[in-house]
Amino acid sequence: MKKLPELRQRVIDFCFPAESDTWLAILRIGLGLQLVLYALSLRDDWNYFLAGTGHGLINRNLGEAVLSLESHFVPRLGWLVTLGTHVGFREETVLSIAWICLLGSGCALLMGIASRFSAILAWFLHLCAAKSAGFVSYGVDNFMTIGLFYLMLSPLPDSYSLDWRLRKPRSNDPQLLGFWRRVFQFHLCIIYFFSGLTKCLGIGWWDGSNVWRALIRPPFNIIDPEILVRWKYLFPLAGIFICLLEIGYPFFIWNSQTRKIWLICICAMHVGIGITMGMYLFAFVMIVLNVAAFGPRLSRMECCTASLQPQKAVS
Amino acid sequence: MALSKRRVYLAGLALQLALIITVSSRDTFWLLSKSRTIFPESSKNYWQRAEQIASTTLGQRLPVTNPARQILTGYLDLAGIEAGYGFFAPNVPNSYKLVLELRFPDGRVEYELPRVSNAASILRIAGLLDNIGHTRSEALRQTIVGMLADAMWREHSDATTIRAIFGSIILPSAPEFAHGKRESYEFLYAYDFSVSDKSTEQSVP
Repeated sequence: MKKLPELRQRVIDFCFPAESDTWLAILRIGLGLQLVLYALSLRDDWNYFLAGTGHGLINRNLGEAVLSLESHFVPRLGWLVTLGTHVGFREETVLSIAWICLLGSGCALLMGIASRFSAILAWFLHLCAAKSAGFVSYGVDNFMTIGLFYLMLSPLPDSYSLDWRLRKPRSNDPQLLGFWRRVFQFHLCIIYFFSGLTKCLGIGWWDGSNVWRALIRPPFNIIDPEILVRWKYLFPLAGIFICLLEIGYPFFIWNSQTRKIWLICICAMHVGIGITMGMYLFAFVMIVLNVAAFGPRLSRMECCTASLQPQKAVS
Repeated sequence: MALSKRRVYLAGLALQLALIITVSSRDTFWLLSKSRTIFPESSKNYWQRAEQIASTTLGQRLPVTNPARQILTGYLDLAGIEAGYGFFAPNVPNSYKLVLELRFPDGRVEYELPRVSNAASILRIAGLLDNIGHTRSEALRQTIVGMLADAMWREHSDATTIRAIFGSIILPSAPEFAHGKRESYEFLYAYDFSVSDKSTEQSVP
């Protein structure tokens, strides 16, 4: 019976470790940069993907109608367009303003100006765009939503932001910082575990054929198959390596002795995906999420620095 | 931080993780029930049942208008946890291709692919084609292809008819490629759009 309160205390200690805000600064700056790149990559096609009046590729109203079947509470650009028309703005104007605000919120996050407001605005506008253009969304949108959701809820501003330097606000509770980092870390572990598990279930990842197919599948076929086929004996190794790396993530990323190598391998895998498959934005957001979640405290020095800050060690 | 406050945070954490795990499990069970995996074919009914249980837990078997379902689904979307993480799993599927055949009054015929401005947007078009290929709703497929044809029409307003040919790209294996086999195109659907009445006719293989 004595063990139950002890266990409860251990769970609480594990979920509320005293942390510095370095991880939050990495997440804010990384997602800010990601948003800027995302907005710039969509600059020419923004209205084309999101128009609802017959000037675009897929009518936005169709995507939003499908979304309404799922839930009426999910933000969408249609809300902003309706609001804009009430004050006399045309649809194109509202869409352009949304794009400028998205880019602006990315820049503000990057510098740490009005961090909380920028994070909420970025999350909201990105979610609106990703959901309204649901037919043309892919993995990068999903991971950006996850990152921005946690960023918005975490105790901003961090001490690396301009907000902090200009306004000198009260220090964040280190245990609250630790809690949000834990939530984020748990989520990443689940992501990689299920990603690895589902890959392990397919024969193609064990014999390497899925690696080959992923690399020659349009539009990911950046490298000439004539060159790739010379390396065909490495595909089974690469397939097994990816499976083990992903499924082993939640088991090896917590251990201080294996964390560094696992994090480096995961980041290297995403760099590889970015370069060989042309998924630069996807690769970048995954690296940002990983480095923010498990990067800080990799070195012994930061660990010591964090524990030596008296105002941060007291809750 | 006060203990009562910590308990609230812990309850929130438990709920969030439970939702993420349930959604991921549901999608994993769905993959197992639909795809070719290391498990025997006979296990598919079991996975289907498991997927149904996970869907029920997430309220997805409630009527669409049910407020509880609307709120839960809404939260999953807001947090970005509405889908699982089975990217390219258990197997990498074939990709799809849409070719638009434009006919002009002078007898000229041109072939076009859906156009976007850069490589990042091409990835989105690939996702769109996957959505067209995977949907079980013929009406939705036809509507989306019609919109793509319409977008092309705005660039070639003098075209009289557009035939949208949708197919799957069959990828060769590495040994097949080494022996000279290249990717091939399997016809799946075709839709005809004419400028006069904007009517649509569908052909299937």
